[in-house]
Amino acid sequence: MIQPQTHLNVADNSGARELMCIRIIGASNRRYAHIGDVIVAVIKDAVPNMPLERSEVVRAVIVRTCKELKRDNGMIIRYDDNAAVVIDQEGNPKGTRVFGAIARELRQFNFTKIVSLAPEVL
Amino acid sequence: MWPSLRQRALRLPSSEAIHQWRFSDLINRSFCSSAINATNNNNNGGGSVVELLKLEEVEKVLRDVRADDVRVIPVKKQSEFANFVVVATGKSQWHVRNIAQALIYKASLFSSYFVKQKQPGAKRMLLPSVEGQEGGNWIVIDSGTLIVHAFDEKARDYYNIEQLWTSKESSKDQSQSQVSIFEVIYLTQTKGSFGPLDYDDI
Repeated sequence: MIQPQTHLNVADNSGARELMCIRIIGASNRRYAHIGDVIVAVIKDAVPNMPLERSEVVRAVIVRTCKELKRDNGMIIRYDDNAAVVIDQEGNPKGTRVFGAIARELRQFNFTKIVSLAPEVL
Repeated sequence: MWPSLRQRALRLPSSEAIHQWRFSDLINRSFCSSAINATNNNNNGGGSVVELLKLEEVEKVLRDVRADDVRVIPVKKQSEFANFVVVATGKSQWHVRNIAQALIYKASLFSSYFVKQKQPGAKRMLLPSVEGQEGGNWIVIDSGTLIVHAFDEKARDYYNIEQLWTSKESSKDQSQSQVSIFEVIYLTQTKGSFGPLDYDDI
């Protein structure tokens, strides 16, 4: 359940460390974003000497949420943090590696690129 | 130690269940005739796995469109969602897009053969999902057990995906050996003796 003003960790090596959601892409007045949704975010904290800088506006895909994700077979997945991966307008990830466990639902939402960069798929 | 063991015990059967659910869903909805089920059984990818694009076909198509530096990486051990990752390079963005087009065309030929026999809605489901077709730097064609990555030269160097998959293999083996050591410790602690280990206890 990500809404504007939510702070998220960054799960890739793009150079950003922390994001703040400012808009959810989708319907006009959408309240919450879940795993696999694209958000517009502002970089709150960045690694020095990397292409991305603080206060830059980027797009990101949510890959982990504290709010539990339910599957049809009854399985529930809940992570310890909210995390996102920075992407560009075409959906290519900015970083080259993704960290941490990723839900396989991302593949159904057409983010196979992120899934194939991830070390572990739940 | 406990959480890791529990996690492992929980995860293994559940992931299999998802696979079965997904592929059985595919089969039930789109492949109803007995003849096609027979061909599915001939595919040796673990029983009920349906392949939209076969590895040999993909290799032939990539050869025909003159994709450079084609690498096939078997990833069945490391990933739960795919058997093979194919990486290819195109000379330009046009070329990368044409590689993708050729593969989609091949898959659509294959799927139209099945669509003749079953519901009109089945076609969309059968086609592999394509990602990044507008850009042309990196196009992924995801057809279930086989994932084809078409890069241009710059993107291939940047993402370096084959190094990721080949190095993952070695790291995964290490982690698995660690887990097995934990298992042994756990068993010896609970049983209190060094007799023959019974893996059914876990």
